[in-house]
Amino acid sequence: MSSAPRPYGSRAAALILLMLPVALYLLVFVYPLSSVVTLSVDNSALSGRFENLSALGTGAAPDDEAAALLADLGGMEKKQLGEVARMLNQQRSGFRSLIMSTGKEAEGITPTMAELVAFDDRWSEPGYWEIIRENAAPITWKHYQRALGITVAEDGSLSSGEDLYLQVMLRTLVITFQVTLLTLLVGYPLAYAAANASARVSTFVLAVVLLSFWTSVLVRTTAWVVLLQTNGLVNTVLVSLGLVAEPVQLIFNRFGALLAMTHVLLPFAILPMLNVMRTIPPSQADASRSLGAGPIETFLRVYFPQTLRGVAVGGGTVFILSLGFYVTPALTGGPEDQMLAWFIADFVNKTLNWGMAAALSVLLLVMVALLVAVAGLARWATARRKVEVA
Amino acid sequence: MRHFGSATISALAVICAGPAIARDFTIAAWGGNYQDAQRAAYFDPFAKAQGLTILETTYLGGLAELKAMGDTGNVTWDLVMMGGTDAQLACDEGLLEEIDWEALGGGSVLLPGAVQECAVGNVVIGNGFAYNASAFPEAPKDWADFFNLEKFPGKRGMTNNPTMNLEYALMADGVPPAEVYAVLSTPEGVDRAFAKLDTIKAELQFWEAGSQPVEWLVAGNVGMSTAYNGRIITAKKEGKPLEFVWNNHVYNMDVWAVPKDSPFKDQAFEFLKVANDAAAQVKFSEKMPYGPTNTGATAMMPAEVVANLPMGDNISTALAYSDAFWIENYDALKERWSSWVVQ
Repeated sequence: MSSAPRPYGSRAAALILLMLPVALYLLVFVYPLSSVVTLSVDNSALSGRFENLSALGTGAAPDDEAAALLADLGGMEKKQLGEVARMLNQQRSGFRSLIMSTGKEAEGITPTMAELVAFDDRWSEPGYWEIIRENAAPITWKHYQRALGITVAEDGSLSSGEDLYLQVMLRTLVITFQVTLLTLLVGYPLAYAAANASARVSTFVLAVVLLSFWTSVLVRTTAWVVLLQTNGLVNTVLVSLGLVAEPVQLIFNRFGALLAMTHVLLPFAILPMLNVMRTIPPSQADASRSLGAGPIETFLRVYFPQTLRGVAVGGGTVFILSLGFYVTPALTGGPEDQMLAWFIADFVNKTLNWGMAAALSVLLLVMVALLVAVAGLARWATARRKVEVA
Repeated sequence: MRHFGSATISALAVICAGPAIARDFTIAAWGGNYQDAQRAAYFDPFAKAQGLTILETTYLGGLAELKAMGDTGNVTWDLVMMGGTDAQLACDEGLLEEIDWEALGGGSVLLPGAVQECAVGNVVIGNGFAYNASAFPEAPKDWADFFNLEKFPGKRGMTNNPTMNLEYALMADGVPPAEVYAVLSTPEGVDRAFAKLDTIKAELQFWEAGSQPVEWLVAGNVGMSTAYNGRIITAKKEGKPLEFVWNNHVYNMDVWAVPKDSPFKDQAFEFLKVANDAAAQVKFSEKMPYGPTNTGATAMMPAEVVANLPMGDNISTALAYSDAFWIENYDALKERWSSWVVQ
């Protein structure tokens, strides 16, 4: 309409410039995330391998079942046989050798149930057959059932069984809350000092925070081990001061894990709070004091409410980061302080049970999403109440 | 948008594929002193003889890397030193090249367990427990002592895993080494092992890396710890007051394997000949106190070297680790172990 130059350029240019970040975002975030979700329910590596047996359906003659099984096992490549054996063994110990030995000899066994049982009498147990049948569907919930400690009875009813991973998840949440609270309690005064003290003090505090921020997590964690161990620096000082009679256990327990995690995550709490605190003009405090409020009332009613935004960002960042912590609690905590990430890493690396690792990861993600939703709901409710009051 | 996305993907694919085209012969092993000794005994002579440049990297156990190489076809290792159990699992999954034993001379000079479908046993490792000699007036001498908190107070270091620890617990409870796996194959035997572990559970401290038991014992963090004989004996040679207990230890084998479809497959098989050589194995054991798999190496070694290895008198009461048992039972027993730890 007008020929005046548009100050922000064309919308098309902005859109084109946005495309690359969006494409990258889709590539590095949404795609891996969706493949993790897929991995947690995908059973195609098992379901597709027993075509003959699945085609029979239930109630077939035992000899037909034996023949179908032998045809399925005999048709597998060595690599597929190993994969099937590993996956079935995750559900029942001993399945591996049963599948491997039967699979290798499949062509030499006469395809009748009697001969199959004669080859290995474990085939007479219905339990093994049942597990194969359970895995006929391409989608499975078995990893989630195991993660949530749910046992499915034959009639389809659910009951709770081993709740190992639920306990670990609960523990992960508790440690995360503890660490978040500690970083905020320690970080707030530090951020306050950096924002309000003299230039020299504030530079010093900031330098200390940034220096530890730039040091590797592993180095800082190991440093705590050196400091806190039985004959370490802290214990030596405590004993020589006569504060304790003999060295105290400061590490390889919850205390050590919390201390190290708090230290590692502290900068993530301090920096956002500091940012917000710097924007609050000191004149506000002067105004409040001149209007008759004491220092405590000034802090509580004028200063503190304005910093809550920084506290929320800092606390939120620490919370999300510590949920996925692995190395620090592994090195400074005890047996009762290992978090969910440790178990996920174990499934990925040691047993190749990527389905189980994916299911646990998804549950961790769901847990975060739920917490964020609850926090959002609470904020929305408070905001509405304020509007009503006004 | 779609064009743009696919352009990005192909650009990324080009970037990612770039380095895989030309690379040096790559060996992945356990790192530390262990790998230093391997470099002196095997890598350097082999590189010189073949005129190859060798790139070394560290392997941390498990199958994740090999599985990723197999799935993507981007094979970045040509030789890997792994535990016998993992090698068997990887072999079943088709992640390793099969060994041409005829080309290696049939393997009759090696220990029987060293001749495997996809791997060559190279190193025998003693897994037992160690203590700080200054910690106790009387030296602990067997697994019953390890589990005796009254006589030998203090924390106990262990791995956070059922493997070997269940064997140790049964031997502490009086099961002779020869019957350990038979007992452990029954549900009652597993209960018995966990009941024995219950007695020291409150004092357990788990280690992840082989260097931790040494650090903890020296610092006095733990009274005793399970450990690899090599770490303890190396520390002892450096003047640390540590002792390794050979009685009823469990010995297992580390093996060389070639990842499936390695571009340097032929050279890797040439390397296996060097690794099987008795003289080279003696050189390795002199630097790192782990045992040889070439039966001819034993006669060539001085008695003071043999005294620090899982061989000779040291293995007279030892238990041979069963890869077969753990391949079958690891999943279930690991879950039982984790539940036990959490409760």
